[in-house]
Amino acid sequence: MKGRVLGGAALVLADGDSVATALEDLEAGREIHNGNHAMTLTDDVPFGHKFALEPLSAGETVQKYGEVIGRATEAVAAGEWVHTHNCESTRGRGDVAATEAER
Amino acid sequence: MRREFTGYRRESGRIGVRNHVAVLPTSVASSCVARGIAAEAGAWARATPHQMGASQPDESREQTERVLVGVGRNPNVGAALVVEFGTEDIDADEIADRIARDGKPVETLSVREVGGTAAALQRGRTALDSLNEAAANARHESADASELVVGVECGGSDATSGIAANPAVGDACDRLVAAGGTASFSETPEFIGAEHVLAERCADEETRRRLLDRVERREATADLMGVDLRGAQPSPGNQEGGLTTIEEKSLGAISKGGTTPVRGIVDYAERLPVGGGLVLMDTPGYDVESVVGKVAGGAQIIVFTTGRGSTTGNPVAPVVKVTGNPRTWERMRANMDVNAGAVVEGDATISEAGERVFDEVLAVADGKRTGAETRRMEEFAITEVHPRELAEVRST
Amino acid sequence: MTENRLSNRIGRDSFAGYRRPDGRLGIRNRVLVLPSVICSHVVAEEIAARSPGAVAAPHDHGCGQLGADAEQTERTLVGLAGNPNVAGTVVVGLGCETVRSDVVAAAVDECGLPVRELTIQDAGGTDACADRGVAAVADLRESAAAQEPAEVDESTATADEPAATLSDLTVGVVVDDLADSTRRHAHPLVAELVERVAAAGGRVVVAGNERFAAHPDETRALVGDAAADRLLDAADRPARATRVGTEAAAQGFEAATGFIGDAPVAGVAAYGERVGDGDAAGEGGVTLLDAPSRVEEAATGLAAAGAHLVLHVTGQGTPAGHPIVPVVKLSGDADTLAAVPGDIDLDAREADADDLESLLLAVADGDRTCAEQHGLTEFAIARAGPST
Repeated sequence: MKGRVLGGAALVLADGDSVATALEDLEAGREIHNGNHAMTLTDDVPFGHKFALEPLSAGETVQKYGEVIGRATEAVAAGEWVHTHNCESTRGRGDVAATEAER
Repeated sequence: MRREFTGYRRESGRIGVRNHVAVLPTSVASSCVARGIAAEAGAWARATPHQMGASQPDESREQTERVLVGVGRNPNVGAALVVEFGTEDIDADEIADRIARDGKPVETLSVREVGGTAAALQRGRTALDSLNEAAANARHESADASELVVGVECGGSDATSGIAANPAVGDACDRLVAAGGTASFSETPEFIGAEHVLAERCADEETRRRLLDRVERREATADLMGVDLRGAQPSPGNQEGGLTTIEEKSLGAISKGGTTPVRGIVDYAERLPVGGGLVLMDTPGYDVESVVGKVAGGAQIIVFTTGRGSTTGNPVAPVVKVTGNPRTWERMRANMDVNAGAVVEGDATISEAGERVFDEVLAVADGKRTGAETRRMEEFAITEVHPRELAEVRST
Repeated sequence: MTENRLSNRIGRDSFAGYRRPDGRLGIRNRVLVLPSVICSHVVAEEIAARSPGAVAAPHDHGCGQLGADAEQTERTLVGLAGNPNVAGTVVVGLGCETVRSDVVAAAVDECGLPVRELTIQDAGGTDACADRGVAAVADLRESAAAQEPAEVDESTATADEPAATLSDLTVGVVVDDLADSTRRHAHPLVAELVERVAAAGGRVVVAGNERFAAHPDETRALVGDAAADRLLDAADRPARATRVGTEAAAQGFEAATGFIGDAPVAGVAAYGERVGDGDAAGEGGVTLLDAPSRVEEAATGLAAAGAHLVLHVTGQGTPAGHPIVPVVKLSGDADTLAAVPGDIDLDAREADADDLESLLLAVADGDRTCAEQHGLTEFAIARAGPST
């Protein structure tokens, strides 16, 4: 597997990524060590899902694979589950184009 | 690492890994008859029923024709029967001629000319038997991995696809390209957000330009429908599996093609070169239509990664299922062929899993049946160039 | 071909149907095995093949679809499950598709219709899913047997439950061309039938939206502005440039829609929408359906609208059937009648409206159409956008 495994629990695919991928179902309250940092998960994070490694502000880009995978739609704390409820796509936004066309 | 397999040598010089007789309807109106004819014959007969209409605008019709001709010319097809109702814009004789150019035995059947459905079912059966005899004459001989064109697909993806199954299949693609073969992946919507990575790997400026153009066109379908692409991409199942955005899905998806330079990008169902290295095809992300595009392009085998557990196959090309999700491997064992889940569990390196995939491809080329083949999973559908797209293209 | 069978039918004015617990009347009694996506259609077919009385409706769609296009597919699947010929529905999904099997099943359940749902991924593969599907069909049959659909015919007719007649039918109509033979021989015949069904209090649903798109002013006059807007939003939705559309424009509205006759038009319906008791069309009369003239797509839209059977007028003799509604073929084309006699149910050149009415009632009574005899069930769902 490419990337860096955090205590067998999660995977950071590239340096500088702001999220890690859960390698098993992780429960809220679990402590995760990322290098010298330690954080506590604030949500359950199912297998394959992501959590923030660092605090993100609303509108900030989210990084995985060393690339931009989207944008936070609200402030996200370290250890918080990152998914469709707080992260949106920056591409393929026909809905945004339609709203702009109406203006 | 094994490189040889035994296949069926065609007049065209290409090598098939199966020896099917294809029954190709020219429209939905003849699809039921085509299905009926094939169902009565043995498992060697493979129908490709589809829902394209008898009358399509030129651009759509040409694409349907390209698919039918391409599937007929696929080296896994030893002989073909083209079935028309008799009122379609697509002419069965013309399709047959284009398939027969390679020296392949082909016949046609017109439901109207033979007097209706009942007569067509009967005549079709007789025609199939003689076509099967002709196909049986193919020389069964040894061939090399360099003669393989392997299509790569992902469907029912989850987060394990991007970290285990896709990199493992990518490693197998690198091995195939090193052996002199062709690997092809497609699903253009799943380049969105990762196209800059692919563009850097393009072998020349023309390929780079075409790639970026095709991605832009696919992204525009979201504008066309006035909705967020996330309604379909990533799909609801992808999202349940942890994929949040199309960019994230794409960045995981492109690793299934490996790391070699992108030598070209062809249109839907266009011919893929033999010995061509890594070549892309412009298809939708909709699995069945995408697989059919590559099979029509000449792929003898499809390698299909799936985290959630897609079970689809194809009528003429074996589909090898690779999952990176250990739970899916456990739960859906009978529908899966290669386990890349060991990568997630830390029990195998990507290179070890890649070698397993490559070995499986060679074994399947040599005749080993996949889970989808054993269960006769033979889904088939053609991408229609939709009137909305035509209107858009014509207005610009 | 048809004359021999017709002789048994002349003078018929009622038929035996299946009364559903909710009061609807079906003319076939099938359990529908409905894949929500192409990925589960092979399993759906296997379930139906292993289950007596079940029929599968395999289609090419359900994933990689966006917005209005995905909604149309979902609406159509729910509509098919609501067809009165369907005793119950087993929805089969893969588990990760855009058109979700659980969502479709919930919508069917909300209509008060018997439904079961399963996915290949939940079941743990195709083998287990097929086994569970067969059990689900049997389970549906069993619970349906507890409320055995009453067969309604003349012998059991009472004042409370009279024998079924034309007034109980919803007839779908699609005319797939505008050839001379169709207009001369079939249009007048169908027009008279449509008028009779409407006059009796039955319903007629008509496909062929190209005709209305070609004549917006006349369409507005016929159905009113609000309904016409629903039918004619063609600016947002380019249709295929079809031969029917071109010919309809050239021939004029009267000629292109001659098969509707003088029956009152009660309203319009979207593709996949059920024409129910709650709307204007519930009173009987004609509903215009936003479906193309291409028979494979039209028949699906008509079945989803609630048609018991589809009357297909065809100059070319296109042999399409449908999994859940009998398709009756009527042709006035001499070449077609000579070329595929076993695929056409009635010769429009020789038949009168009594013959046509008797034929439809006989089919409603259980007589099998040519397409049913040949097992032709390949069909299509109209798309509203490209695959992604």
